Amino acid sequence: MAEHHEEHHEEHDHMNIPKYIGIFMILVVGTILTYYAATIDLDFIFPGANTLVALGIAFTKMTFVMLFFMHVYWSPKLIWLSVLASFFWLAIMFAYTMQDYLTRDFGVFTG
Amino acid sequence: MYNADASTLEQGGTPKLNYLNNGFTLKSWLLTKDHKRIAIMYLITVSLFFMAGGLYASAIRLELLTPDSDLLQTATYNKVFTQHGILMIFFFLIPSIPAVLGNFFLPIMIGAKDLALPRINLISLYIYWIGGAFTVWALLQGGVDTGWTFYTPYSTTFSNTYVMAVGLGIFINGFSSILTGLNFIVTVHTMRAPGMTWFRLPLFVWAQYATSLVMILGTPVIAITVLLLAIERVARVGIFDPAIGGDPILFQHMFWFYSHPAVYIMVLPGMGVVSELISNFSRKKIFGYEFIAFSSIAIAVFGFLVWGHHMFVSGQSIYAGLVFSFLTMVVAVPSAIKMFNWTATLYKGSISFDTPMLYGLGFMGLFLIGGLTGLFLGAIGLTVHLTDTYFVVAHFHYVMVGGQVIAYLGGIHYWWPKMTGKMYSEFWGRISAMLVFIGFNLTFFPQFILGYQGMPRRYASYPAELQVLNIFSTAGASVLGVGMLMPVVYLLHSLVWGKPAGDNPWMLPGLEWRTSSPPPTENFEVMPVVTWEAYEFGEDSGLNFDEARRKESVTTVS
Amino acid sequence: MSSHEGSDKFVYHEPGLQHQFEDMGQQEESVSIGMWMFLVQEIMFFGGLFTAYLVFRSRYPMAFAAGSNHLDAFWGGLNTLVLIVSSLTMALTVYYAQKSNRNMQVILIVLTMFFGAVFLGVKAIEYTDKYNHGLVPVAGLNKRIKEDPNAHHETKPCWDVDHNAPVVEHPNPRGEFLWTDCSLAKQAEDGKFLTASERVGYYSNGVIDANKFRDKVRIFYFIYFVMTGLHALHMIVGLGLMTWLLWTAWRGNYTADYYMPVEMSGLYWHFVDIVWIFLFPLLYLLGRHFLH
Repeated sequence: MAEHHEEHHEEHDHMNIPKYIGIFMILVVGTILTYYAATIDLDFIFPGANTLVALGIAFTKMTFVMLFFMHVYWSPKLIWLSVLASFFWLAIMFAYTMQDYLTRDFGVFTG
Repeated sequence: MYNADASTLEQGGTPKLNYLNNGFTLKSWLLTKDHKRIAIMYLITVSLFFMAGGLYASAIRLELLTPDSDLLQTATYNKVFTQHGILMIFFFLIPSIPAVLGNFFLPIMIGAKDLALPRINLISLYIYWIGGAFTVWALLQGGVDTGWTFYTPYSTTFSNTYVMAVGLGIFINGFSSILTGLNFIVTVHTMRAPGMTWFRLPLFVWAQYATSLVMILGTPVIAITVLLLAIERVARVGIFDPAIGGDPILFQHMFWFYSHPAVYIMVLPGMGVVSELISNFSRKKIFGYEFIAFSSIAIAVFGFLVWGHHMFVSGQSIYAGLVFSFLTMVVAVPSAIKMFNWTATLYKGSISFDTPMLYGLGFMGLFLIGGLTGLFLGAIGLTVHLTDTYFVVAHFHYVMVGGQVIAYLGGIHYWWPKMTGKMYSEFWGRISAMLVFIGFNLTFFPQFILGYQGMPRRYASYPAELQVLNIFSTAGASVLGVGMLMPVVYLLHSLVWGKPAGDNPWMLPGLEWRTSSPPPTENFEVMPVVTWEAYEFGEDSGLNFDEARRKESVTTVS
Repeated sequence: MSSHEGSDKFVYHEPGLQHQFEDMGQQEESVSIGMWMFLVQEIMFFGGLFTAYLVFRSRYPMAFAAGSNHLDAFWGGLNTLVLIVSSLTMALTVYYAQKSNRNMQVILIVLTMFFGAVFLGVKAIEYTDKYNHGLVPVAGLNKRIKEDPNAHHETKPCWDVDHNAPVVEHPNPRGEFLWTDCSLAKQAEDGKFLTASERVGYYSNGVIDANKFRDKVRIFYFIYFVMTGLHALHMIVGLGLMTWLLWTAWRGNYTADYYMPVEMSGLYWHFVDIVWIFLFPLLYLLGRHFLH
């Protein structure tokens, strides 16, 4: 029960100031990228491509913040599970709500 | 306040320091970090809310004695059933077992000194009081008439009642729930005694853990929903008003995303208590421990996938209805698994029909009926006929009252000697358990028939031909009321005049029975090291039952 | 009451160790799980709002795009960068706490707070701009602009808007939500990519109805204000947390042996940053690609 002392300090040895600044630069680049990607019409790929690109960049930025600023990379498995579970639950909420709205106009049974 | 010193001195023993006599000032209670004291304060508050909700229920049943809306005007009746629902659900059912029995016994059952975050526990109590006070104030100002479900656009645009204030009270109260759940999860992960592995945990702890998962994942959604409701009411613009392009069904989606898992917040702890009762009062190791443990988690997870079954006729798409209906059938399976395991535990057990066991058995029968009728309601074809009738009312009262409340009463009786150090009167306990069972069935079984015959819910008046069954129902409610008031009397009586209980009055192997009654503030004189499995009635439990029996006979002779 | 009652051993308790824990490792683990559970619940809290956003954006994408285009993506983007910088300074605060460096901790907390305040300042500028342009969805909460009795009232259809013309202040005597440009709806109609809901929701008698379109844009602004408002509220709470942290760090409380409060505050701060990382593209960058 008392052997947890080492776990929180792993990032001690791995993260240093240059690495933090490196992650920061990635986040800045991501922001600039998302801004300019929004101005280009990507709908020729498929409708909604712009949204997908924006969300993809946002997810990437979030992943970097979580893994390296919030130290999830070095955190115990329980923390990983909590993070993944919360996204899974968000997905449940989004998917099951949208399955109603998206099937409102289907085929034989309207409404 | 109960004084342990006096009773032990009566026997000629030296007064032992326990959590009750460790400080008598108001400050020592209101600023306590002791999970047991916090549990007792929750017990008192929760009981008060239960009685308030019960008063509203009495008003409903009295009104429904006659077909006309003669005792209460319709507008008043709307407020009465709304407030009955709100008080019972948010302020009694959701906190009861977790905040009272969970708070008291979770740390003891895992062999810890306290919960992991005692100050958070205290804050959770304060938040509960503040949310409750706010809601009670709003009810006294004139209350709400929207139904506990607050459907829009009535609640946002048309109702002239204190929707925002009550909503705010519920919002605040939600955080009490979240903090309790958070605390339990952390505690079970980090505070277990040496040797207390996950699969040696009592099933009550597994149930609390599963409940806590639901609390953390679901309660924030009702919080944001109520917040949006309040904003829309104040700003007179929002996303739920169809007149300006909003969607009232979105409100229902967001509301039921929490409120369906909420019923599992209510019933899972009850099932945890029943696992304890059935196994311990059959003096037999529970059958299928892992199945029951995992089914608790399964119910917690699957419970999030079925909320649309409250919205079959609201306007959601038929296809969504199909999916939710199918999943509703699926979510019944883990509950059924528990039922089978409990029944198998009873088989060839050495059953003693003490009061807690009567409640435990009552739960099994009543939850069975409640659960099965839920399947009726989950089938789309039937549900169209039964929605918004008394069938639904009977169904949820069977699972909520016949399930949760009975489990709660069973737990209170089971652990009363441990919490207070006193034994209540078994005679009166059994009488009231039977009165509750009979009264409950007489109240709610006719409502299945009434619903099937078409009596709508939330109506103050009904067709004259339905009166006979309504009279049965009200008569049953009176019996039920008596049965529920009796424990108040004999339990309070036991505090002063009850027999001192001793450490292990029921002669059981659980960790909570290996410390004194009432327990000391830090729960154990010496922190335990666990080497036995859960529900171990044999020699491996490390408990010498003969010696325990001898000690019991000494202390109970007074 | 101590569990060591009866034992004569002197037990060393690490500084900051609470009585219910056996050792600091257990305390750190508990506090960490507790904080993450709180963040899980916060994710679900904001998740409800994202659900509402998802539902309405999928129903009325053009109204959302129109509303979004009027948000200033420059300020939004700047705020995103500001928060990212504050996340860096926060992460470095934890780093220096782990290194027992009191002075750097204090400097970095002050910087974090500074950038947090900048964020709120920019939000204030944005909200004021909405107030001035009649974009606050609540009637009466916009700047009242008296009607000019001499003004020439043109009755052009709402999609006939000259985007290159100088912006004219519309009269708004009652401070209501104003929206007169439904050109994006027309663009979708011409390009045949209206959704089923839009084909009903924007139209009266087969023609695009300015009021109905305005109502849908107002839903966008309602969601915008609630989401960014709730986020700003969390920022304010974060600043309060930082104030407490600043005080305790200044007193030298945090060293390599005991720095969990800094780390936990950091988790909260990063979470607020992450919410904004999603809010920015979803609210500000929706419809830019429709503008030609």
